[in-house]
Amino acid sequence: MFVEYTWLVPLVPLLCFVIVGFFGKKMPHGGGPLVIFGALFAFVLSLLISYDFFTSDAYHNPGYVTSQIEWFSVGSFQMNVGYYIDSLACMMMLFASFISTLIFVYSIGYMHDEGAKRRRYFAQVSLFLTGMLGLAVSSNFLEMFVFWEIMGLCSYLLIGFWGFNHPKGDDASDSASSAAKKAFLVTRLGDVCLMGGMFVLLFEFGSLDYVTVFDTSMMAAVDPNMIMLGSLLIFGGVIGKSAQFPLLDWLPDAMAGPTTVSALIHAATMVKAGVYLVARCFPLFTQNPEVMLFVGVIGGITAFFAATMALNNMNIKKVLAYSTLSQLGYMFLALGAGGYMMALGMQSGDAALMAAGAIGYTAGCLHMVNHAFFKALLFLGSGSVIHATGTEDMREMGGLHSKMKITSITMLIGSLSIAGFPLFSGFWSKEIVLETAMHAGDYGVEGYLFTIMWILAIVTAFMTAFYMFRMWFMTFKGKSGHGAEHCHGESPKSMTIPLIILSVFAAALGCILLFGFDDYITIGIHAGHFQVGSGHGHGLAGWLEDIFLSMYTYLTIALVLIAIAVAYVMYNKASVNPGKFNKNGSSWLYKALTNRWWFPQLYDQIGWKLGNGVAKGVEFVDTQMIDGTVNALSSAVVGSGESLGKMQTGNVRDYAAIVMIGVVLLFVAILALFYFMGGL
Amino acid sequence: MFSDIFAFTYEIPYLLTLLLIIPLVGAIATLAMGGKRQKNAKYVAGVFSFVTMVLSVILMFTPDLSVYSESYTWIETAGVKMSYILSVDGLSILMVFLTGVLVFLSTVFSARESDKPHYFFALILAMEVGLMGVYMAGDYFLFYIMWEVTLIPMYFLISWFGGPRRHYAAIKFFIYTHVASVVMLIGIFAIVFGAATGGIADFSFEAVLAGSAAFGSTFQVLVFGLLFFGFAVKMPIVPFHTWLPDAHTEAPTAGSVLLAGVMLKMGSYGIIRVCLEVLPEGAQYWQPIMVFIGILAMIYGAYACIAQKDLKKMVAFSSISHMGMVMIAMACLSDIGIQFAIFQMFAHGLISAVLFMVAGATGHSVGTREIPLLGGLAGKLPLLAAFMMFGFLASLGLPGLVGFWAEFGIIFGFYDYAVSVDMLWLVIFCLLSLLLTAGYYLWAMQRTMFGRLTTKIDLSHIHDLSRPEVIALGAVCALIALFGLWPDLALSYLEGYSSSLALTLGVI
Amino acid sequence: MIPIEVYLIFAAVLFAIGAYGVVVKNNTIVVLMCIELMLNAANINFIVFSAFTTDVLGQVFVIMSISVAAAEVAVGIAILLNAYKIKGTIEADGLASMRW
Repeated sequence: MFVEYTWLVPLVPLLCFVIVGFFGKKMPHGGGPLVIFGALFAFVLSLLISYDFFTSDAYHNPGYVTSQIEWFSVGSFQMNVGYYIDSLACMMMLFASFISTLIFVYSIGYMHDEGAKRRRYFAQVSLFLTGMLGLAVSSNFLEMFVFWEIMGLCSYLLIGFWGFNHPKGDDASDSASSAAKKAFLVTRLGDVCLMGGMFVLLFEFGSLDYVTVFDTSMMAAVDPNMIMLGSLLIFGGVIGKSAQFPLLDWLPDAMAGPTTVSALIHAATMVKAGVYLVARCFPLFTQNPEVMLFVGVIGGITAFFAATMALNNMNIKKVLAYSTLSQLGYMFLALGAGGYMMALGMQSGDAALMAAGAIGYTAGCLHMVNHAFFKALLFLGSGSVIHATGTEDMREMGGLHSKMKITSITMLIGSLSIAGFPLFSGFWSKEIVLETAMHAGDYGVEGYLFTIMWILAIVTAFMTAFYMFRMWFMTFKGKSGHGAEHCHGESPKSMTIPLIILSVFAAALGCILLFGFDDYITIGIHAGHFQVGSGHGHGLAGWLEDIFLSMYTYLTIALVLIAIAVAYVMYNKASVNPGKFNKNGSSWLYKALTNRWWFPQLYDQIGWKLGNGVAKGVEFVDTQMIDGTVNALSSAVVGSGESLGKMQTGNVRDYAAIVMIGVVLLFVAILALFYFMGGL
Repeated sequence: MFSDIFAFTYEIPYLLTLLLIIPLVGAIATLAMGGKRQKNAKYVAGVFSFVTMVLSVILMFTPDLSVYSESYTWIETAGVKMSYILSVDGLSILMVFLTGVLVFLSTVFSARESDKPHYFFALILAMEVGLMGVYMAGDYFLFYIMWEVTLIPMYFLISWFGGPRRHYAAIKFFIYTHVASVVMLIGIFAIVFGAATGGIADFSFEAVLAGSAAFGSTFQVLVFGLLFFGFAVKMPIVPFHTWLPDAHTEAPTAGSVLLAGVMLKMGSYGIIRVCLEVLPEGAQYWQPIMVFIGILAMIYGAYACIAQKDLKKMVAFSSISHMGMVMIAMACLSDIGIQFAIFQMFAHGLISAVLFMVAGATGHSVGTREIPLLGGLAGKLPLLAAFMMFGFLASLGLPGLVGFWAEFGIIFGFYDYAVSVDMLWLVIFCLLSLLLTAGYYLWAMQRTMFGRLTTKIDLSHIHDLSRPEVIALGAVCALIALFGLWPDLALSYLEGYSSSLALTLGVI
Repeated sequence: MIPIEVYLIFAAVLFAIGAYGVVVKNNTIVVLMCIELMLNAANINFIVFSAFTTDVLGQVFVIMSISVAAAEVAVGIAILLNAYKIKGTIEADGLASMRW
């Protein structure tokens, strides 16, 4: 049984981290090959574990394998450490380790010129992978939180990788270190919420184990309001980690790190952890339809907002960053809409509605996997372009198609996939996401909100296709820019091979997963408890019917094609000047978009006022009022002592005289006393 | 427990007395290393503090701590009885261990001290005598004497080896803590004479605890106030905290490490050992005030950190904030609260040692600790930057390091309390302080180690950490990671103690 | 026989002279001498009372007191010598460093 060795999955990358961290200087490529081995080992082991698990009886009943030992106890509450394997965990392990392996291979080429810094880089990415894999296999919230925070730490370190000694100078160092801090603090805000959620759960359930918390009878016994509070707080953590509205501002700044790190954060790890957590807590969140409504609405809003900001950005990595936010929004929209229907179905006992809700779960998870592949591809592709041209500004690129054929074509596949071009991976999952959102609009009192979200999502699909092709045309077609002239051809093999592998997955994986493995990514209530997988997928015919018999599918396909066409005429043929629509960059909408709807300014203001402003006040109280009182008191004592001290002349004769006068006075006083009190 | 790994069953005779005597002899021996033998002072001090550390580690490996208790009558007159009683239990064992380890490591860390090293190391060892005495004392008279003994070496460490404002800081430190300990002494007299039976006031902990059943409510409330004030100034609490930042800023690094790592814990140790054990009713009465003070210290300390310009002063304020956490944990008066209050004392002892070592090392490596003058130093001082990062992360509660578990347990204990008084919103303050902590550390990190390389100071003489400094820092960091990955190693010592104390307090 | 009052008055006068000298003299050697005068005034009282009460204990005390005074003078002179080394003067006005 390979499942019993699940603990090796996060442990091997962790060991690689330790070894590379201490001895990486002396290793070839700064320890890169060892880290690749660690990731590959994790991938192979995950494959074996998954095979093992899917073929075992436990897959059908109870749907998971878990094992844990006691770690320590808080009062009478026992904290455990162990693993919990179900379809979701397998899926996360597989794609995280696989994509990470490719990214690490790519890094060997991409980071080739970094010299001694590579040790730091490879150690940290290995720890990053540890965080993600550990998160995927954790058996309880506390263990999950440990890995969750390790990822936060790694993102901080890697975003700030060039926080000092930046090859491009001090300004870049400043912005990298500032971005790293922002990323950690904003996610920390979410983490603090998540921690609060854990306290609620621990208090109400008496345990943080998934097995206990997700037990239907346990959940039924707990006050639903407290479950709602706990769920919302946990989702607060997700908002921070997955950069959802309103905490979405850190992710674009995080582009200050190396491009491979962006690929890692956006595709394989970090932001996916949020989606994973919502999927993991699906049973808990569905106890209250309001929670799921909130999840869906946040997702929808994020999808729309982030997409708008990508429309006019000139930085190739930032466009991709916004698209990540937008796609994450889709995932939450799907999970929220599905969960909403599931929750309503559970309340009314409507099995059909619950089955409809389960599709949302499938959609969200499927989109997560698909997105992982095409986003890794796109980031690595953009990394290849940046590596070749030395710039991130798309205006300085252009016409690279002839010079970098492999990069160009693989990026095109990625763009088609993310845009939802028919039959590419992204198309399938995006269609189910949209369908679920639309479907959810028909139920419940607040269902109309999902209809609004659905409309936003459709508009977002249009925008996604537009900005992705704007990016592709600006980079690879059109006139050669300043930076493109630096380009001396294709990137090295260690960079192009991962691109080719990823592009195959980005093109076909969605189709394969949906039609071959949809059983594994469903959720349902079997024998009184929630079970991931082993349910009944929709089946080939079901999905085809769902997707191709709906007229809305054709609506989105049409919108996507129009968007690509618009991008083509604007940025490839340049027959329509895009400046016409924004008064050459002076319209307020254009300014709002370039300024990210003024979110950064708003956060800086709030953060500065609440942080530094209050701190200044506290400092004033401390130094002026408290210490002022203390010092005043001491100077009062010292001052009075000084004035009394004037009596001390220091002259021996004065002292002697005073002593004698004193003796005489004392003698007289005693005599007087005896005299008046009645003699000797 | 350490003894689960390896049980050290051989009973060393007079082990606890040895823990007092060895540093005392060491202090005298080091003092003799004046003049030409100055160079050897550090080795002598190192050997003695190492032996003490080994003994304290052996104590950790002992399965049954009760075998090591010593009791002799010291002063016995018609009315009073004072004894020489030493013992260790779940509460004190971690503190004894911490003292042993930190004294040795701070000796190692200051190996380069060249100005009258024999005085320097003798003072550190003398302080160890007092600290060990406070944590092992089983008699109020001995406890008080040892409490005062810690004060004097610290005063001289600051006023002889400190920074430019050392005299101001030393006197402020001395007056503050001395006034507090006089108030505490009155409280001790009150409980000892209040608990006296048969006309004999026995100063031993045991006798006072036995007689404490007779205390009336009013007496408990009043005396709790006296003792609480005495201990809390040492912790310290806002608004009686201003001695701490000054003392830390001026003290030499080893002094700061001991001051923050072990000496501040004397305050919270006293509150648990004396206030909570002997005066449970008083504790009930004072509970809301303790909660308020704790939250105030937490938030106030964290905000003050943001405004600090001196790296060491910032770390000092962070100690105030973290000791506020200890305060709210104690204020829960519950099993979890007390267990994690002690654990946080231990965790903060280790973490603040790293923080002060790092801040001190920045001072002598770069020549200044002023944050606005620094920047971008990670490239030039990679080791220092790495340790600083580690210390900051440990202090802001990164899971997997010891500080997180302490904070986790404390906030959960506090959540429990907040639910019981129906004021769940109080927990928000704890969470806010976590956020602020992350904020000031990362901001400080950004301004000192990251970003553009500073041009405001002369960088031609800066040098990275020396070997002894790396060894000392590495050892503490290893302990932080060890207890972070395996918190049960320390927590299991506390379980028995905290649950029995919670029973006394009437809250479980 | 001379009455006891005469001796006592003599001793008192001697003491007063000594006290006067301690207070007004600037030269510390003279001050030291004056202190000796005061001490010997006390010794005379001891002897007188011893003689008049036929108790020999008083005379024993005087012997002891004289020996103590010798030691005291030695210490005093040593202090003055050191003071002279450090301050360069033995004038009482010049040795005023005991001021606050």
